Amino acid sequence: MKSAVDGEGAVSIVDVENLRKQFDPPNGVVAVDGVSFAIEKGEVFSLLGPNGAGKSTTISMLSCLLRPTGGDALIDGHSVLDQPQSVKEAIGVVPQDIALYPDMSARENLVFWGKMYGLTGTDLRRRVDEVLELVSLVERQKDRVEKYSGGMKRRVNIGVALLHRPKVLFLDEPTVGIDPQSRRSILDGILALRDQGMTILYTTHYMAEAQELSDRVGIIDHGKMIALGTHEELVRIVGEEAHVRLRVDHDLLGMVDHWSAVPGVSRAAIDEEEAVLYVHDANAVLPQLFETSAAAATRITEVSVTEPNLEMVFLHLTGRALRE
Amino acid sequence: MIQIAAIAWKDLRGTARNLPALAMMLLAPLALAALLGFAFGGGESFSISPIKVVVVNEDEGPLTVAGAALPNAGNSVAGVLEGSALQDLLDVSRSESPARARSLVDEGTRAVAVIIPPAFSRSVYGAASNDQATVELYQDPTEGIGASIVESVVDQTLLTFNGASAAAAAATALAGADGTAHEQAAQAAAARYVEDGGAEALLGVAQRPPQLPAGKETRDVGVTAVILAGMMVFFLFFGASNVARTILDEDQAGTLSRLFTTPTPRRTILGGKFVSVFVTVAAQAVILLVAGRLIFGIRWGSPGAVAALTVAAAVVASSLALLIISLVRTPGQAGAIGSGVYLILALVGGNFVGTVATTGIYATLQRLTPNGWLLRAWDTTMRGGSVGDIALSLLVTFAFALVFFIVAIWRFRKRFA
Repeated sequence: MKSAVDGEGAVSIVDVENLRKQFDPPNGVVAVDGVSFAIEKGEVFSLLGPNGAGKSTTISMLSCLLRPTGGDALIDGHSVLDQPQSVKEAIGVVPQDIALYPDMSARENLVFWGKMYGLTGTDLRRRVDEVLELVSLVERQKDRVEKYSGGMKRRVNIGVALLHRPKVLFLDEPTVGIDPQSRRSILDGILALRDQGMTILYTTHYMAEAQELSDRVGIIDHGKMIALGTHEELVRIVGEEAHVRLRVDHDLLGMVDHWSAVPGVSRAAIDEEEAVLYVHDANAVLPQLFETSAAAATRITEVSVTEPNLEMVFLHLTGRALRE
Repeated sequence: MIQIAAIAWKDLRGTARNLPALAMMLLAPLALAALLGFAFGGGESFSISPIKVVVVNEDEGPLTVAGAALPNAGNSVAGVLEGSALQDLLDVSRSESPARARSLVDEGTRAVAVIIPPAFSRSVYGAASNDQATVELYQDPTEGIGASIVESVVDQTLLTFNGASAAAAAATALAGADGTAHEQAAQAAAARYVEDGGAEALLGVAQRPPQLPAGKETRDVGVTAVILAGMMVFFLFFGASNVARTILDEDQAGTLSRLFTTPTPRRTILGGKFVSVFVTVAAQAVILLVAGRLIFGIRWGSPGAVAALTVAAAVVASSLALLIISLVRTPGQAGAIGSGVYLILALVGGNFVGTVATTGIYATLQRLTPNGWLLRAWDTTMRGGSVGDIALSLLVTFAFALVFFIVAIWRFRKRFA
C-alpha cells in the first residue's frame, strides 16, 4: 500500500494528481481539467465552486464511477485507475440526490446496502443498529423511507455510506434543497464525524458551509482548481481588510473625506450612494467613524461590515459571484 | 452470491408489491385465454384463414345399378369442394396419390386431405355393400374448425347420396327378389341403409400425428390450451420487461450509480438483476401453468418437458428483456420500444393464431422468432411429446437467449464502463 507523505510528515489518504475528465473526447466538454490536491488523514477538505464547476465529476472519478481521461488519484494508496475495487472498499459515498429505495424501510435499506459493502451476519446487524443510532432514526427504523421528511431521508442517505466504516467519506452537496433545520442537523453530524477523526471530502457551492466545516478548501471553477488552502490562506488572496459600508443622511462626499483620515482606514471610496471603507480591524474603527460623523453633524443611516470570506475570494479570482 | 441474492430479493419484493404489473402478468393471459376460448367454442380448435384442402379422387365410377347409369360419386364430392360457392372458405388443390396428399398435410402445406377411395361410387350406390368404401379426411389436428368445416361439407354432400343409395339398394333388392315381395324387399333394404348409418358410414376421419416420432400416441388439444400457451409466452416477455426495467428506474433514481460505488462488482449487480428477472418470469409461468390446469383443465404434458420449456421460456424472456433495456435510456423508451418488439414477435411468432397451424412463408417467419419455437414446442408437449421431441426447439430457444444475453452484456459494459 502506498501512502503520500507531504514535506511535514503528514500522511495523505487522498492524493489527486492532475486529474482530468473529458466527455466524448477529443472534442467533448472538459469537465475537470488537471485538478490536483491532497487530503490528510482526519482532515475535512471542501471543494467549493458554483454549479457545473466540476465538483461532482471529480467526486465521480474518485468514486470510480467515471474513469479519468488523464491523471490519477490514490485513495488510501490505491489507484482509482488500476485498483478500483480496493478504492471502493476504502470510501463511503453520499451522492447529491437521495439514493435509497423508497418502498423499503430505513433498516431494510441499511441492511441491503450493508450487504453491498460486504457486511454479513452479526456484524451487519450491529452496524445497522449503530448507524440508526447515529442518524437518530431508531424509532422510525421500520417506516418506509418514502414516508420520511427530506431531512430524515438525507440522514439515512449519509448513514448508508458509513455502514462499512470507510476510511474516507465523500459528501457531494448533501445539503442541497433541504430546510435550514435539517441542514443544521446534517452539518452538526458532519462536525461530529470530523471530531471522530473521519477524513471527509465535501463538495458545496455554499461558502458558509465550506468555511464552517473545512480544514482546507479548494476553489474550483470551469474544471480547474483556482485556489487551495486554509480559510485564512485563501482570504489573504483578497487582503485581510474588512469592508465597511455606510450610508448617511447628507454630504456623503464630505464624510468620505473625513473618514479616509481616520486611523485604521486604508482606503475610502464611493459606491453609488454608499461609502466603502477598507479597514484592518472593523471593531476598532467603527466607534471613530461614528464620532467623526457626529462631529460633522451628519447622521449615519445604515452600516454594514463584511469580513474577508471565500465569496470575496471567488469574486476576486473569477469576477463572478459563487451563486451566479 | 449474497449480493446477487440481496439484489434479486429486493427486486422480487418490489415486483410483488406492484399490483398493476402482477395483474398484467397473471390475470391478462388467463382472461384473454378464457375469453378467446369461449368465443371459439371452448374445447374446439379453430382457424381463421382459408382452409387448405387437397383432394385425391380414386373413384372408379361411373357404374350401372339395376340397368341404370349412375354419375361418378367421387367427382360429385370433389366438385362440391372445388365449387365457386366455397372458394372463399376452401383453398382446394388436387393430388394423384393418397400418400402424397397425406405427406402434404404432414408437411403443413395442406390442412386437410380428402381421399376418395376407388370403390366409392359402388359403395354409395349400394353395389358394394359388403365392402364399405369410406372417404378419408386426413387432417392437421390443430386445424380443428377448418377440418370440421371440410368434414361438414363432405358430410352434407354424402347425405345427398342417401336417396340414391336407398333407391339403389331397393332396386338391387328388387332385382334379385321374388316378384310378389317387391314392395317389402325395397322397404327392408331402405330401412337397413338408414339403420346402418347412411352417409355417415361413408366418411372416415384420420388426424395426422404432430411432430412426434412414429408410433407415439398424441392427444387432442383444446383451443383454450392453444390460446393460453400463446398468451403465456407473450406475457412472459412483458413480465420480464417489467422487472428488467428496474435497471433503468435505478439508473434514474441514482441507486444504480450508488451500487457501482460499493465494492460489489458490476457483473454481480447485473447478475442479481438477471436472477430477479428470471425468477419472476419462471414464477409467472408456473402460476399460469397451474392456473391453466386448475381453471381450464389443460393437460400441459410431461413434467420434464414442461419444466424444460418453462426454463427455456424464462431464460429467453429474461435475456431479451435485458437486451432491450440495454438499448434504451429511459423507462418510457423501454415501455414503448419493448411493447413494439414484443408485439411484432408475437404476431410473427404466432402467439395469437396458434403457431403450428400455419404454413408456407408464415411458418418460416415463425422460426425466426423465439416465440415461434416456444409455441411449436408447447404444441408438441401438450400433445404428449417428451423432452426429446422438443429438443430442437429448446436448443434454438437457448441459442436465441445466449445471443440476446451476450449482446446485452456487451451493451451494458459499454454503457456503464
